[in-house]
Amino acid sequence: MPDSAAPPHAELAFADLRRSFGRLRVLRGVSGRVAAGELLLVSGSNGCGKSTLLRCLAGLMAPQRGTIECRVDGTALDVAERRYAVGFVSPDLELYPELTTLENLDFFGRLRGTDPRRGAELLDRLGLPHDRAAAALSSGMRQRLRFAWAVLHRPPVLLLDEPLQNLDEPGRVDVLELLREHLETGLAVVASPDLLDLPHVTSHLDLDS
Amino acid sequence: MSRRISIWIAETATIFRKEWRLELRTRYALNTIALFAFTTLVVVSMTLGPVGASEEARPFLPVLLWLILLFAASAGLPRTFVHEEEAKTAIALRLSAHPSSLFCGKALYNLTLILALELLIAPLYVAMLQMPIASAARLGLTLLAGGYGLAIGSTLIAAMVAQARARGPLFAVLAFPILLPLLKFAVEATIGAVTDEPAQAFLSLIATYDAMLTIAGLMLFPAIWNP
Repeated sequence: MPDSAAPPHAELAFADLRRSFGRLRVLRGVSGRVAAGELLLVSGSNGCGKSTLLRCLAGLMAPQRGTIECRVDGTALDVAERRYAVGFVSPDLELYPELTTLENLDFFGRLRGTDPRRGAELLDRLGLPHDRAAAALSSGMRQRLRFAWAVLHRPPVLLLDEPLQNLDEPGRVDVLELLREHLETGLAVVASPDLLDLPHVTSHLDLDS
Repeated sequence: MSRRISIWIAETATIFRKEWRLELRTRYALNTIALFAFTTLVVVSMTLGPVGASEEARPFLPVLLWLILLFAASAGLPRTFVHEEEAKTAIALRLSAHPSSLFCGKALYNLTLILALELLIAPLYVAMLQMPIASAARLGLTLLAGGYGLAIGSTLIAAMVAQARARGPLFAVLAFPILLPLLKFAVEATIGAVTDEPAQAFLSLIATYDAMLTIAGLMLFPAIWNP
Protein backbone atom coordinates (compact mmCIF):
# COMPACT_ATOMS: atom_id res chain seq x y z
CA MET A 1 0.00 0.00 0.00
CA PRO A 2 1.73 3.20 -1.12
CA ASP A 3 2.13 6.29 1.04
CA SER A 4 -0.72 8.71 0.64
CA ALA A 5 -1.44 12.20 1.90
CA ALA A 6 -4.76 11.43 3.62
CA PRO A 7 -4.48 8.59 6.12
CA PRO A 8 -6.98 5.81 5.46
CA HIS A 9 -9.75 5.23 7.97
CA ALA A 10 -9.98 1.59 9.02
CA GLU A 11 -12.45 -0.55 10.92
CA LEU A 12 -12.05 -4.17 11.90
CA ALA A 13 -14.89 -6.36 13.15
CA PHE A 14 -14.92 -10.08 13.77
CA ALA A 15 -17.73 -12.26 15.00
CA ASP A 16 -18.07 -15.81 16.31
CA LEU A 17 -14.56 -16.87 15.18
CA ARG A 18 -13.91 -20.56 15.72
CA ARG A 19 -10.73 -22.44 14.99
CA SER A 20 -9.61 -25.93 16.03
CA PHE A 21 -6.40 -27.87 15.49
CA GLY A 22 -7.49 -31.48 15.30
CA ARG A 23 -9.56 -32.06 18.42
CA LEU A 24 -8.11 -29.05 20.20
CA ARG A 25 -10.57 -26.16 20.08
CA VAL A 26 -8.57 -22.94 20.29
CA LEU A 27 -10.99 -20.19 19.29
CA ARG A 28 -14.54 -20.76 20.55
CA GLY A 29 -16.73 -18.05 19.12
CA VAL A 30 -14.59 -14.94 19.60
CA SER A 31 -16.05 -11.56 18.64
CA GLY A 32 -14.78 -8.00 18.73
CA ARG A 33 -14.73 -4.65 17.00
CA VAL A 34 -12.11 -1.91 16.74
CA ALA A 35 -12.01 1.31 14.75
CA ALA A 36 -9.38 3.90 13.79
CA GLY A 37 -7.76 5.50 16.81
CA GLU A 38 -8.63 2.54 19.02
CA LEU A 39 -6.61 -0.27 20.51
CA LEU A 40 -8.10 -3.65 21.34
CA LEU A 41 -6.09 -5.56 23.95
CA VAL A 42 -6.43 -9.34 23.71
CA SER A 43 -5.25 -11.11 26.84
CA GLY A 44 -5.29 -14.63 28.15
CA SER A 45 -3.06 -17.44 29.30
CA ASN A 46 -0.66 -19.36 27.06
CA GLY A 47 -2.47 -21.48 24.49
CA CYS A 48 -5.78 -19.64 24.79
CA GLY A 49 -5.68 -18.61 21.11
CA LYS A 50 -4.30 -15.06 21.08
CA SER A 51 -1.78 -15.76 18.32
CA THR A 52 -4.33 -17.81 16.36
CA LEU A 53 -6.80 -14.91 16.55
CA LEU A 54 -4.19 -12.45 15.24
CA ARG A 55 -3.21 -14.84 12.44
CA CYS A 56 -6.86 -15.12 11.42
CA LEU A 57 -7.26 -11.34 11.49
CA ALA A 58 -4.10 -10.92 9.37
CA GLY A 59 -5.40 -13.36 6.75
CA LEU A 60 -2.64 -15.86 7.45
CA MET A 61 -5.08 -18.50 8.66
CA ALA A 62 -8.72 -19.08 7.83
CA PRO A 63 -11.15 -19.46 10.71
CA GLN A 64 -13.37 -22.52 10.44
CA ARG A 65 -16.41 -20.47 11.36
CA GLY A 66 -17.22 -16.82 11.84
CA THR A 67 -16.69 -13.63 9.90
CA ILE A 68 -13.93 -11.04 9.68
CA GLU A 69 -14.75 -7.71 8.12
CA CYS A 70 -12.04 -5.14 7.52
CA ARG A 71 -13.05 -1.81 5.99
CA VAL A 72 -10.65 0.88 4.82
CA ASP A 73 -12.26 4.19 3.89
CA GLY A 74 -15.61 2.41 3.86
CA THR A 75 -14.51 -0.27 1.37
CA ALA A 76 -14.64 -3.87 2.56
CA LEU A 77 -11.36 -5.69 1.90
CA ASP A 78 -11.16 -9.30 0.82
CA VAL A 79 -8.65 -11.55 2.54
CA ALA A 80 -5.89 -10.88 -0.03
CA GLU A 81 -6.34 -7.11 0.29
CA ARG A 82 -6.43 -7.43 4.08
CA ARG A 83 -2.95 -8.99 4.08
CA TYR A 84 -1.50 -5.83 2.52
CA ALA A 85 -3.46 -3.56 4.84
CA VAL A 86 -2.02 -4.99 8.05
CA GLY A 87 1.24 -4.56 9.86
CA PHE A 88 2.03 -7.67 11.85
CA VAL A 89 4.44 -8.31 14.71
CA SER A 90 4.80 -11.85 15.97
CA PRO A 91 7.48 -14.05 17.56
CA ASP A 92 6.92 -16.38 14.56
CA LEU A 93 7.94 -13.70 12.07
CA GLU A 94 11.56 -13.23 11.07
CA LEU A 95 13.25 -11.14 8.41
CA TYR A 96 16.04 -12.48 6.18
CA PRO A 97 19.01 -13.27 8.43
CA GLU A 98 21.48 -12.98 5.52
CA LEU A 99 20.40 -9.41 4.68
CA THR A 100 21.23 -6.30 6.67
CA THR A 101 18.48 -4.42 8.50
CA LEU A 102 18.35 -1.76 5.77
CA GLU A 103 18.39 -4.32 2.94
CA ASN A 104 15.48 -6.13 4.59
CA LEU A 105 13.40 -2.97 4.89
CA ASP A 106 14.42 -1.88 1.40
CA PHE A 107 13.30 -5.23 -0.04
CA PHE A 108 9.91 -5.17 1.68
CA GLY A 109 9.53 -1.46 1.01
CA ARG A 110 9.95 -2.09 -2.71
CA LEU A 111 7.33 -4.85 -2.57
CA ARG A 112 4.95 -2.54 -0.76
CA GLY A 113 5.71 0.55 -2.82
CA THR A 114 6.78 2.73 0.11
CA ASP A 115 9.03 5.77 0.12
CA PRO A 116 12.64 4.49 -0.24
CA ARG A 117 13.76 6.71 2.71
CA ARG A 118 11.16 5.27 5.09
CA GLY A 119 13.24 2.21 6.05
CA ALA A 120 16.31 4.24 7.04
CA GLU A 121 14.14 6.69 9.01
CA LEU A 122 12.54 3.86 10.99
CA LEU A 123 15.90 2.23 11.71
CA ASP A 124 17.19 5.56 13.04
CA ARG A 125 14.11 6.08 15.18
CA LEU A 126 14.40 2.60 16.65
CA GLY A 127 18.15 2.88 17.21
CA LEU A 128 19.08 0.06 14.86
CA PRO A 129 22.28 -0.06 12.78
CA HIS A 130 21.69 0.03 9.02
CA ASP A 131 24.44 -2.33 7.96
CA ARG A 132 24.22 -5.19 10.45
CA ALA A 133 22.93 -8.54 9.22
CA ALA A 134 19.61 -9.48 10.80
CA ALA A 135 21.24 -12.73 11.97
CA ALA A 136 23.68 -10.69 14.07
CA LEU A 137 20.99 -8.75 15.95
CA SER A 138 20.13 -9.43 19.58
CA SER A 139 16.61 -10.67 20.36
CA GLY A 140 15.58 -7.18 21.47
CA MET A 141 16.97 -5.61 18.30
CA ARG A 142 15.17 -8.24 16.21
CA GLN A 143 11.93 -7.25 17.93
CA ARG A 144 12.57 -3.60 17.05
CA LEU A 145 13.24 -4.63 13.45
CA ARG A 146 9.94 -6.54 13.38
CA PHE A 147 8.19 -3.38 14.51
CA ALA A 148 9.96 -1.30 11.85
CA TRP A 149 8.86 -3.85 9.24
CA ALA A 150 5.28 -3.78 10.51
CA VAL A 151 4.87 0.00 10.24
CA LEU A 152 7.02 0.38 7.11
CA HIS A 153 4.05 0.82 4.76
CA ARG A 154 1.98 2.89 7.25
CA PRO A 155 -0.71 0.22 7.47
CA PRO A 156 -4.15 1.23 8.70
CA VAL A 157 -4.29 -1.93 10.85
CA LEU A 158 -1.57 -3.08 13.26
CA LEU A 159 -1.73 -6.58 14.72
CA LEU A 160 0.83 -7.02 17.48
CA ASP A 161 1.49 -10.35 19.15
CA GLU A 162 3.48 -9.73 22.32
CA PRO A 163 5.04 -6.52 20.91
CA LEU A 164 7.12 -5.64 23.95
CA GLN A 165 8.76 -9.05 24.22
CA ASN A 166 12.57 -8.88 24.75
CA LEU A 167 12.63 -5.07 24.61
CA ASP A 168 14.70 -3.03 27.05
CA GLU A 169 13.31 0.20 28.47
CA PRO A 170 14.53 2.49 25.62
CA GLY A 171 13.17 -0.05 23.14
CA ARG A 172 9.77 -0.04 24.86
CA VAL A 173 9.69 3.75 24.77
CA ASP A 174 10.54 3.86 21.06
CA VAL A 175 8.03 1.17 20.12
CA LEU A 176 5.25 2.69 22.23
CA GLU A 177 5.92 6.07 20.63
CA LEU A 178 5.51 4.52 17.17
CA LEU A 179 2.34 2.81 18.36
CA ARG A 180 0.98 6.10 19.69
CA GLU A 181 1.69 7.75 16.33
CA HIS A 182 0.01 4.91 14.50
CA LEU A 183 -3.11 5.26 16.65
CA GLU A 184 -3.53 8.88 15.56
CA THR A 185 -4.95 7.50 12.33
CA GLY A 186 -4.97 3.70 12.48
CA LEU A 187 -6.19 0.91 14.71
CA ALA A 188 -4.35 -1.79 16.60
CA VAL A 189 -5.03 -5.19 18.11
CA VAL A 190 -2.45 -6.21 20.70
CA ALA A 191 -2.18 -9.71 22.12
CA SER A 192 -0.37 -10.27 25.39
CA PRO A 193 -0.58 -12.69 28.30
CA ASP A 194 -0.25 -9.70 30.65
CA LEU A 195 -2.45 -6.65 30.95
CA LEU A 196 0.13 -4.31 29.46
CA ASP A 197 0.27 -0.70 30.41
CA LEU A 198 -0.45 0.45 26.87
CA PRO A 199 -1.73 3.84 25.73
CA HIS A 200 -5.14 4.21 24.08
CA VAL A 201 -6.56 0.84 25.17
CA THR A 202 -10.20 1.27 24.30
CA SER A 203 -11.43 -2.27 24.67
CA HIS A 204 -10.30 -5.51 26.19
CA LEU A 205 -10.95 -9.08 25.11
CA ASP A 206 -10.06 -11.78 27.63
CA LEU A 207 -9.85 -15.13 25.88
CA ASP A 208 -9.70 -17.00 29.20
CA SER A 209 -13.17 -15.93 30.17
CA MET B 1 1.77 -0.40 -19.97
CA SER B 2 -0.82 -0.23 -17.22
CA ARG B 3 0.18 0.66 -13.67
CA ARG B 4 -0.80 -2.78 -12.36
CA ILE B 5 1.46 -4.55 -14.86
CA SER B 6 4.41 -2.26 -14.11
CA ILE B 7 3.91 -2.86 -10.34
CA TRP B 8 3.77 -6.61 -11.01
CA ILE B 9 6.99 -6.51 -13.05
CA ALA B 10 8.73 -4.42 -10.38
CA GLU B 11 7.66 -6.89 -7.65
CA THR B 12 8.83 -9.87 -9.70
CA ALA B 13 12.18 -8.19 -10.36
CA THR B 14 12.55 -7.30 -6.65
CA ILE B 15 11.98 -10.92 -5.62
CA PHE B 16 14.34 -12.20 -8.33
CA ARG B 17 17.10 -9.81 -7.15
CA LYS B 18 16.54 -10.78 -3.52
CA GLU B 19 16.84 -14.48 -4.36
CA TRP B 20 20.16 -13.95 -6.12
CA ARG B 21 21.44 -11.64 -3.37
CA LEU B 22 20.72 -14.32 -0.77
CA GLU B 23 22.20 -17.02 -2.99
CA LEU B 24 25.41 -15.10 -3.61
CA ARG B 25 25.81 -14.65 0.16
CA THR B 26 25.14 -18.27 1.14
CA ARG B 27 25.96 -20.10 -2.15
CA TYR B 28 23.84 -22.98 -0.91
CA ALA B 29 21.99 -23.85 -4.11
CA LEU B 30 24.93 -23.03 -6.38
CA ASN B 31 27.30 -25.26 -4.43
CA THR B 32 24.79 -28.09 -3.99
CA ILE B 33 23.73 -28.17 -7.63
CA ALA B 34 27.22 -27.76 -9.06
CA LEU B 35 28.81 -30.33 -6.75
CA PHE B 36 26.05 -32.88 -7.31
CA ALA B 37 26.10 -32.44 -11.09
CA PHE B 38 29.88 -32.46 -11.35
CA THR B 39 30.29 -35.52 -9.12
CA THR B 40 27.67 -37.47 -11.09
CA LEU B 41 29.23 -36.40 -14.35
CA VAL B 42 32.67 -37.57 -13.26
CA VAL B 43 31.31 -40.92 -12.03
CA VAL B 44 29.42 -41.50 -15.30
CA SER B 45 32.39 -40.42 -17.38
CA MET B 46 34.90 -42.56 -15.46
CA THR B 47 32.62 -45.61 -15.56
CA LEU B 48 31.52 -45.44 -19.18
CA GLY B 49 34.42 -43.60 -20.77
CA PRO B 50 34.03 -41.86 -24.13
CA VAL B 51 31.12 -44.06 -25.23
CA GLY B 52 29.80 -41.46 -27.68
CA ALA B 53 31.86 -43.07 -30.45
CA SER B 54 29.77 -46.24 -30.19
CA GLU B 55 26.62 -46.24 -32.32
CA GLU B 56 24.65 -48.38 -29.83
CA ALA B 57 25.43 -46.14 -26.85
CA ARG B 58 24.25 -42.88 -28.45
CA PRO B 59 20.53 -43.15 -27.60
CA PHE B 60 21.42 -43.68 -23.91
CA LEU B 61 23.57 -40.57 -23.55
CA PRO B 62 20.67 -38.07 -23.52
CA VAL B 63 18.97 -40.15 -20.80
CA LEU B 64 22.02 -39.85 -18.54
CA LEU B 65 22.37 -36.14 -19.29
CA TRP B 66 18.80 -35.39 -18.26
CA LEU B 67 19.06 -37.61 -15.18
CA ILE B 68 22.09 -35.62 -14.05
CA LEU B 69 20.22 -32.35 -14.64
CA LEU B 70 17.09 -33.61 -12.86
CA PHE B 71 18.87 -34.88 -9.75
CA ALA B 72 21.11 -31.83 -9.52
CA ALA B 73 18.07 -29.58 -9.80
CA SER B 74 16.21 -31.66 -7.19
CA ALA B 75 19.09 -31.16 -4.78
CA GLY B 76 19.03 -27.36 -4.95
CA LEU B 77 15.78 -25.94 -6.28
CA PRO B 78 13.35 -26.97 -3.49
CA ARG B 79 15.26 -24.65 -1.14
CA THR B 80 13.64 -21.61 -2.72
CA PHE B 81 10.47 -22.07 -0.63
CA VAL B 82 11.64 -24.49 2.07
CA HIS B 83 14.14 -21.89 3.29
CA GLU B 84 11.37 -19.28 3.61
CA GLU B 85 9.42 -21.59 5.93
CA GLU B 86 12.44 -22.78 7.91
CA ALA B 87 13.80 -19.26 8.42
CA LYS B 88 10.27 -18.04 9.34
CA THR B 89 10.43 -15.38 6.63
CA ALA B 90 7.37 -16.79 4.84
CA ILE B 91 4.93 -14.76 6.98
CA ALA B 92 6.58 -11.46 6.05
CA LEU B 93 6.55 -12.49 2.39
CA ARG B 94 2.89 -13.58 2.54
CA LEU B 95 1.92 -10.17 3.90
CA SER B 96 4.00 -8.23 1.36
CA ALA B 97 4.15 -9.89 -2.07
CA HIS B 98 1.41 -10.77 -4.53
CA PRO B 99 1.42 -14.55 -5.07
CA SER B 100 1.79 -14.38 -8.86
CA SER B 101 4.80 -12.06 -8.74
CA LEU B 102 6.33 -14.16 -5.97
CA PHE B 103 5.89 -17.32 -8.03
CA CYS B 104 7.33 -15.72 -11.15
CA GLY B 105 10.25 -14.13 -9.29
CA LYS B 106 11.19 -17.46 -7.71
CA ALA B 107 10.64 -19.39 -10.96
CA LEU B 108 12.84 -16.89 -12.83
CA TYR B 109 15.56 -17.37 -10.23
CA ASN B 110 15.28 -21.17 -10.55
CA LEU B 111 15.40 -20.85 -14.34
CA THR B 112 18.65 -18.89 -14.21
CA LEU B 113 20.09 -21.51 -11.85
CA ILE B 114 19.10 -24.34 -14.21
CA LEU B 115 20.45 -22.50 -17.26
CA ALA B 116 23.74 -21.87 -15.44
CA LEU B 117 23.86 -25.57 -14.55
CA GLU B 118 23.20 -26.56 -18.17
CA LEU B 119 25.86 -24.15 -19.41
CA LEU B 120 28.34 -25.76 -17.02
CA ILE B 121 27.41 -29.41 -17.40
CA ALA B 122 26.28 -29.87 -21.01
CA PRO B 123 29.60 -28.90 -22.68
CA LEU B 124 31.55 -31.00 -20.15
CA TYR B 125 29.22 -33.94 -20.71
CA VAL B 126 29.55 -33.68 -24.50
CA ALA B 127 33.33 -33.47 -24.22
CA MET B 128 33.89 -36.17 -21.58
CA LEU B 129 31.57 -38.77 -23.10
CA GLN B 130 32.25 -37.61 -26.68
CA MET B 131 28.55 -37.32 -27.39
CA PRO B 132 28.11 -36.48 -31.05
CA ILE B 133 25.85 -33.55 -31.86
CA ALA B 134 24.10 -33.48 -35.19
CA SER B 135 22.33 -30.18 -34.46
CA ALA B 136 23.75 -27.89 -31.80
CA ALA B 137 20.86 -25.46 -32.25
CA ARG B 138 18.30 -28.18 -31.54
CA LEU B 139 20.26 -29.36 -28.52
CA GLY B 140 20.41 -25.78 -27.22
CA LEU B 141 16.69 -25.30 -27.80
CA THR B 142 15.90 -28.58 -26.05
CA LEU B 143 18.05 -27.64 -23.05
CA LEU B 144 16.38 -24.22 -22.89
CA ALA B 145 12.81 -25.54 -23.13
CA GLY B 146 13.48 -28.52 -20.86
CA GLY B 147 15.27 -26.32 -18.35
CA TYR B 148 12.31 -23.91 -18.32
CA GLY B 149 9.93 -26.78 -17.54
CA LEU B 150 12.23 -28.09 -14.81
CA ALA B 151 12.42 -24.62 -13.25
CA ILE B 152 8.66 -23.96 -13.30
CA GLY B 153 7.78 -27.50 -12.18
CA SER B 154 10.37 -27.45 -9.38
CA THR B 155 9.15 -24.04 -8.17
CA LEU B 156 5.57 -25.27 -7.95
CA ILE B 157 6.56 -28.53 -6.24
CA ALA B 158 8.86 -26.64 -3.85
CA ALA B 159 5.92 -24.43 -2.80
CA MET B 160 3.83 -27.53 -2.04
CA VAL B 161 6.67 -29.32 -0.25
CA ALA B 162 7.46 -26.28 1.94
CA GLN B 163 4.02 -26.56 3.58
CA ALA B 164 4.60 -30.18 4.59
CA ARG B 165 6.56 -31.80 7.38
CA ALA B 166 8.31 -34.60 5.45
CA ARG B 167 9.93 -32.23 2.98
CA GLY B 168 12.83 -34.36 1.74
CA PRO B 169 11.00 -37.42 0.39
CA LEU B 170 7.95 -35.40 -0.65
CA PHE B 171 9.82 -33.50 -3.36
CA ALA B 172 10.81 -36.75 -5.06
CA VAL B 173 7.29 -38.18 -4.71
CA LEU B 174 5.67 -35.10 -6.26
CA ALA B 175 8.40 -34.49 -8.85
CA PHE B 176 8.06 -37.98 -10.32
CA PRO B 177 4.55 -37.63 -11.83
CA ILE B 178 4.86 -33.92 -12.61
CA LEU B 179 8.27 -33.93 -14.28
CA LEU B 180 8.26 -37.42 -15.83
CA PRO B 181 6.44 -36.43 -19.06
CA LEU B 182 8.74 -33.42 -19.46
CA LEU B 183 11.84 -35.58 -19.05
CA LYS B 184 10.54 -38.13 -21.54
CA PHE B 185 9.97 -35.40 -24.17
CA ALA B 186 13.32 -33.74 -23.38
CA VAL B 187 15.21 -37.04 -23.73
CA GLU B 188 13.51 -37.82 -27.06
CA ALA B 189 14.21 -34.32 -28.38
CA THR B 190 17.85 -34.60 -27.29
CA ILE B 191 18.16 -37.99 -29.02
CA GLY B 192 16.91 -36.23 -32.14
CA ALA B 193 19.60 -33.57 -31.75
CA VAL B 194 22.26 -36.27 -31.30
CA THR B 195 21.23 -38.64 -34.08
CA ASP B 196 19.73 -36.06 -36.47
CA GLU B 197 16.42 -37.87 -36.49
CA PRO B 198 13.32 -35.66 -36.75
CA ALA B 199 12.16 -34.67 -33.25
CA GLN B 200 10.13 -31.52 -33.87
CA ALA B 201 7.09 -33.17 -32.33
CA PHE B 202 8.92 -33.64 -29.03
CA LEU B 203 10.08 -30.02 -29.00
CA SER B 204 6.46 -28.98 -29.51
CA LEU B 205 5.41 -31.29 -26.70
CA ILE B 206 8.00 -29.72 -24.37
CA ALA B 207 6.72 -26.25 -25.29
CA THR B 208 3.13 -27.35 -24.64
CA TYR B 209 4.07 -28.93 -21.33
CA ASP B 210 5.99 -25.79 -20.34
CA ALA B 211 2.91 -23.69 -21.08
CA MET B 212 0.71 -26.07 -19.06
CA LEU B 213 3.09 -25.96 -16.10
CA THR B 214 3.20 -22.15 -16.25
CA ILE B 215 -0.58 -21.83 -16.29
CA ALA B 216 -1.00 -24.48 -13.59
CA GLY B 217 1.65 -22.76 -11.47
CA LEU B 218 0.03 -19.34 -11.73
CA MET B 219 -3.42 -20.78 -10.98
CA LEU B 220 -2.46 -23.15 -8.17
CA PHE B 221 0.24 -21.17 -6.42
CA PRO B 222 -2.03 -18.64 -4.62
CA ALA B 223 -3.97 -21.52 -3.04
CA ILE B 224 -0.79 -23.39 -2.09
CA TRP B 225 0.94 -20.31 -0.70
CA ASN B 226 -2.01 -18.99 1.30
CA PRO B 227 -3.76 -22.12 2.62
